[in-house]
Amino acid sequence: MGPATSRCTYRLQNPNHHAACAHGEAVGRCWVIGLAIKTENLSKVYTHDATGRPVGLMDLSLEVEEGQIFGLLGPNGSGKTTTLKLLLGLIFPTSGSGEIFGHPLGSNAYKERIGFLPEGPYFYEHLNGIELLQFYGALFGMGGSQLNARIEELLHLVGMWDRRFIRVRNYSRGMRQRIGAAQALINDPDLLFLDELTSGLDPIGAMEMHKLLMSLRDRGKTLFLCSHLLKDMEPLCDKVIILNQGRQCEMGRVDDLLRVEGQVRLELTGVSEEFAAKLKASADEVMVRDHLTVALFGTQSAALESAQAAAAAGATIAHLGAHQRTLEEVFIAAVGGDE
Amino acid sequence: MLPVIRVARATFHEAWRRRFLNGILVFAILIIGSSWLFAYLQPGAELQMVIDIGLGSIRFFGMLIAVFLGTRLVPDEMERRTIHTILAKPVSRAQFLIGKFAGGAITIAANLILMGLAFYAVFAIKAPAFVAEKPEDALIFQAMYGNIAKAILLSFFEMFLVLGIAVVASVIFTWVLSVITTFVLYFVGQMADLFQQLSDPERGAGLFARIVLGAAYRLLPHFEIFDMREAILQGIYVPWTTLAKTAGQGAAYLIVVLLIGYLVFNEREV
Amino acid sequence: MKQYQIVSWVIIIGLMLLLQPLDRAVEYDRLVLGLQQPTPWFQIAARGAAGETELAVTGVTGVIVGAALGGFREVAATMLWMKTHEYWESGQALQVKALWLMRLVTLLDPHWLEPWRITAWHLAYNLYVETDDPALQSKYLQMGVDCLKEGVSWNPDRYDLYVELGWTYFDKVEDFEEAAKWFEASKFYPHPEYVDRLVGHAYERMPDIPRALDAYDYRLKRDPTDGTAKGATITIRERYLHPWYFMEEGRHDKALELIDTHLLAKPDSTLALHVKGYLAEQAGDTRLAYETWKRAGDGSALDFHAQRRAVELAHELGIPTQDTPQYIYMQRQARTQKRMDGSVPGRDNLKR
Repeated sequence: MGPATSRCTYRLQNPNHHAACAHGEAVGRCWVIGLAIKTENLSKVYTHDATGRPVGLMDLSLEVEEGQIFGLLGPNGSGKTTTLKLLLGLIFPTSGSGEIFGHPLGSNAYKERIGFLPEGPYFYEHLNGIELLQFYGALFGMGGSQLNARIEELLHLVGMWDRRFIRVRNYSRGMRQRIGAAQALINDPDLLFLDELTSGLDPIGAMEMHKLLMSLRDRGKTLFLCSHLLKDMEPLCDKVIILNQGRQCEMGRVDDLLRVEGQVRLELTGVSEEFAAKLKASADEVMVRDHLTVALFGTQSAALESAQAAAAAGATIAHLGAHQRTLEEVFIAAVGGDE
Repeated sequence: MLPVIRVARATFHEAWRRRFLNGILVFAILIIGSSWLFAYLQPGAELQMVIDIGLGSIRFFGMLIAVFLGTRLVPDEMERRTIHTILAKPVSRAQFLIGKFAGGAITIAANLILMGLAFYAVFAIKAPAFVAEKPEDALIFQAMYGNIAKAILLSFFEMFLVLGIAVVASVIFTWVLSVITTFVLYFVGQMADLFQQLSDPERGAGLFARIVLGAAYRLLPHFEIFDMREAILQGIYVPWTTLAKTAGQGAAYLIVVLLIGYLVFNEREV
Repeated sequence: MKQYQIVSWVIIIGLMLLLQPLDRAVEYDRLVLGLQQPTPWFQIAARGAAGETELAVTGVTGVIVGAALGGFREVAATMLWMKTHEYWESGQALQVKALWLMRLVTLLDPHWLEPWRITAWHLAYNLYVETDDPALQSKYLQMGVDCLKEGVSWNPDRYDLYVELGWTYFDKVEDFEEAAKWFEASKFYPHPEYVDRLVGHAYERMPDIPRALDAYDYRLKRDPTDGTAKGATITIRERYLHPWYFMEEGRHDKALELIDTHLLAKPDSTLALHVKGYLAEQAGDTRLAYETWKRAGDGSALDFHAQRRAVELAHELGIPTQDTPQYIYMQRQARTQKRMDGSVPGRDNLKR
């Protein structure tokens, strides 16, 4: 038996877990996976619109397991930020309840273990990078050389070390985002809330952030991502919830949502109108996006046939293979189904 | 405790850089610095005039700073959403509110100290000349140095109370309404005596008037107790026990105000 | 209600209850020390309603109310004070307004001495000479004196208004007993030397020769080089001390004889006439006293004291006469003296 910290730490934090994980398993080996976040019918009604429909967030029930990357997706105004604020205790639910690490929402008990990067973050303008992180570190009761070492490490991590003496008022949006990520990580949190992480970042910056997320996940951290960029989230998330107008319209593991059994997808460019009509007749479904024509077939042979015909008609085959939806398609299908 | 100190420090550093408040401070110091120029308007009472303009300015501009600083402290955090990252950390709302108030109080104190030093400088340079012309004032003059320091000390407590009211009002109301509320409470508090006098049955106050006015007298802050210019002008020695009682009254009222603010802020969405 | 809310409310109510005795203690201290603001604004308003002042005349009412509430009382008072001069110089029509404003200034800033002095001077001197009606004149005298008495009540630690009040008694009312009383009072506070001599002047005009000598003595002890005091002492000793002694011994004839010899040399001497009038009264010769006072009053238009005594004795003797303002003033004073129990107007009835 080693020291308690090398064992299942979740058990130490959450008394409810105690019964389930009685063995004191080592970290990562505990077969009972704890829940980082759990909500039940969490609702926040701000007001009602002209038709009497409530505006806000309605009946959100979700479970985020420890170690997951969880995506809260949806267009602007779908209730993502409301959900985040509810989880952080900044606003209070109209009805329903939730827990983070077994503590009720809003309690100070779990805040030691979380980090939060808001969307388009603002900080005290008169501080520079180091002072800002010192400020946030002090809020955790950190200080001294331990905090300074942590700050140096984080500034390197987010690529702000060279710019550490620049005051926040002179920051670009990308720099604010980077320092925001650093302040969210200052306490080495077990659960990280990230709202629109890559907004304001250039592609390289966004890639670096994604790498950072992966490394965090590899260290067993739980990540809770909010984004309206479904395409960006697709490769990152283990599990997503898609919100629309405050209501949950899809939830599940990303793999499950994207997979469609038994369909073959043919993507073509340079399709003539004449051939497009023919394609519609032979395919199950045809979608036209800009120059790309996507056709779905029930069987592989039908797809091959059409591919050959297309080649003969002068079109270029861009892709031919098993059909996998994108999250955008999932979202559009879900919303379409709603209406 | 550490979070409170850090929030207070950040608040002070930020408030100290507010152009608007710096402007008020500069203007106040200019007026205090030139107070002796107006002394000739009251022939035979030059000292009194300098004190009136100097201490009047310290109170008036201190009050302005307290109101406009106090009513912005928390709303600014909400509008810029900096409050979100802070409250997502293990900082309770009480700690946050106290931290903001303390930061504001440090700012007010710094402003008052600067204004007080400016006034002391003017007084020390100019007053002896006025006294030389009127030797009868020499006795009163001797008591003035101590009394002015005590008066400035009292204005600290007064402005902390104004600041507390401003902060709490800003948590409850919109900005404009909170500014108005604070001003009204300040001015009504100057004449809290009025309510007591009017509720006197000998003046014909009915039962209803007595209840309402009596309640107003007991509930409103009493700002007139922080005014001791009479002592300065007449050279009265004000004992420290009186100052302590006055400060105690201010502090007790301040705690009540902050507690009400905490009760509201704790249930408030940010 | 959650637990923390209950606890908070209990603390709030507890503190509010604690505040009540604390508040009373502070109020008590302020009352004892005299730290309260002079004339709270609602009392100014009440006085306005009573017709004593007029808040609406200036258009700076807001400034006044603001000043009365918080700081800058002196500044507001100064602004108004300048306005009063403007009104006063604009002719009689605006003099009432000016007086209202002056009253307002004294209410706002009662520790500023000049307004008391100037207001009283306007009343007892300037308004006095603008009318021929003795009753009205006596009223102005009364108002001037009352104004200064109120001023003294606000500034009891400074010599200025005592002397001003004494001087108004000395010079205008010519009630030398009162004058001497107030001059004496100012001697308790740091004061310039002429005040000491004024005491002597008041006593010799009264006349009370021994006390006058005491007063000059006091002055000479403080400054043996004071020529005026020395000269006055010599004159009094030479001319009036002997008649006074004879009077005290009951030898009135001898006393009157002596003073008459002086009067032969200086027939217009106010001092000699006053002493003679007094000696005649002490001798019981009312007719002679009346004639002496009449002679002095007729000889000098400003000898209000002699004029008043003449009127008093004329009434006693049944001689038809014209009442002077000072006579009317003193008569009223004697009547009200019985009613009043020594309280002065002003501070006593301003404070709670």
